[in-house]
Amino acid sequence: MSRVLVVEDEQHLADGLRFNLEAEGYQVKVADTGEAALEIMKSDQPDVDVVVLDVMLPGKDGFTVMSEMRATGQFVPTLMLTARGHPEDVLKGFAAGADDYLTKPFELSILIARLRGLLRRREWLRASVNPIAAVPPEPSRPEKSDRFAFGDKSVEFDLLELHVRDQVFPLTLMEANVLRYLIEHEGKPVLRKRMLEEVWGLHEDTDTRAIDNFVVRLRRYIEDNPVKPRHLLTVRGVGYRFVAHPVDAE
Amino acid sequence: MVSAGRRKSIAFFIALGAGLILVTLLLYVGWVLLNWHHGILVFLGVVLAAMIISGVVLNTIFLVREIRRNAQHDAFINAVTHELKTPVASIRLYLETLQTRAVDEVKRQEFYRIMLDDSDRLLATIEQVLRTGRVGHTSRTLNRSPIDLGEVVEECLSRARKLHHLDADALEHRAVSPVTVLGDAEEVRAAVSNLVDNAVKYSGSDIKIAVETANLDGKFASVRVIDQGPGIAKTELKQIFKRFYRVPGPLGTRVKGTGLGLYIVQSVAQRHGGRAWAESEGPGRGSTFVLQLPLAKQLQVNAK
Repeated sequence: MSRVLVVEDEQHLADGLRFNLEAEGYQVKVADTGEAALEIMKSDQPDVDVVVLDVMLPGKDGFTVMSEMRATGQFVPTLMLTARGHPEDVLKGFAAGADDYLTKPFELSILIARLRGLLRRREWLRASVNPIAAVPPEPSRPEKSDRFAFGDKSVEFDLLELHVRDQVFPLTLMEANVLRYLIEHEGKPVLRKRMLEEVWGLHEDTDTRAIDNFVVRLRRYIEDNPVKPRHLLTVRGVGYRFVAHPVDAE
Repeated sequence: MVSAGRRKSIAFFIALGAGLILVTLLLYVGWVLLNWHHGILVFLGVVLAAMIISGVVLNTIFLVREIRRNAQHDAFINAVTHELKTPVASIRLYLETLQTRAVDEVKRQEFYRIMLDDSDRLLATIEQVLRTGRVGHTSRTLNRSPIDLGEVVEECLSRARKLHHLDADALEHRAVSPVTVLGDAEEVRAAVSNLVDNAVKYSGSDIKIAVETANLDGKFASVRVIDQGPGIAKTELKQIFKRFYRVPGPLGTRVKGTGLGLYIVQSVAQRHGGRAWAESEGPGRGSTFVLQLPLAKQLQVNAK
């Protein structure tokens, strides 16, 4: 599981980010000052894989924290997340050693995609520097199959990638989990409630619309025509059904 | 780092100005010594030299002032950008969360509460910026009516309790005597509210604030907002009322703000014929902010 350090002094944003990143399957740590963040990053092997860093922090600001981290040889991938979007601010962020820069307000899915990009690059780098010691990104359920092909598409669960012909779509951990669950129950209708319980681990009587959003996103990837799905079918009043090899009606 | 660089460049220009003035003076003295026997020429020289020197001095003062104002303006834009964008970012994040994820009922209620808090914060910043524009116009007439100051304070305190989720005993109102002032209710409320909000914001986690309303010597009413917060350095007591001014150092970055609150308080006080000031024994020893407004009776008598 990848570990994220969120350096953010605005309580609401920090809580919101924690909730979302945890829902994506990350382990999240929050620091509310630059000094606290530097303290965490000071150890030789800080248990952090990627950092989200705010700029306007009490005490040391994000730019200072960034350059101090880099000066001490700490090269953890870092995304600066800040309200300051002037070109000179962005340049200052990169000059201080940031790997990516995103301005507030931001789109959640873009933030997550960028963090995944940073993590992926880190894995590639590790693999190329030290091919034997390279750790493959941990799949959340390692005992299950890591590749599934259907039609001209295939899902690489350990890489969180979906290959459609020669195109590659990156998947979020939750998208991959939803897809895995549907594939495991191939051909059978799956209840929305069951999905909530088994994929999200929720038992409360929650709204099931969130699943629909995931399905809409997945259809966009795997269906040739998302309006007329052939693989990911809706079962009215029940949930969804995944069909790997649809029999053509036409 | 930016401000240090800016200070250096100001110092350079001041030195340049002073150096030029010195050179002019030397040239001038030499010239007077050489030409002391040509009466009219010496007189003309004195007048021209005085004009040049005063021109350079005025120019330097103006330049330095302009540079300072620019720096403050930049800081203000940064602060307002932060104060406007942060709550929007937060609201947006929670809306996206609710839209794309399965959230249980308890969390959902918590998210709604957070979003409401953020929209309150956003509204407060917007109102403050707009109010600064209004109180800055001396031409705008006040909507004067008799106001019960105690009532205004109570209103502001209950609003602050709700906004900052505080216990009743964290904010205390001590009405020494009932007072009525003649003023613009909306503006007086904004001023008192700003003082109370500041006291809460700067107090940190241990909030103990008392607000006293009293009748001073039959001419003025005063609202004293007393906190046990971080206090104010002697040199900052006047500065903090300036528009866009924010205390330097970690305190100013820990507590977010636009640098407009106290400026509004002072403008409101002045528009009502009163004044506002701060008292503090120094850093770490709490501070007291005083808003003094003319009593209603006194004003009416004056008006007649």
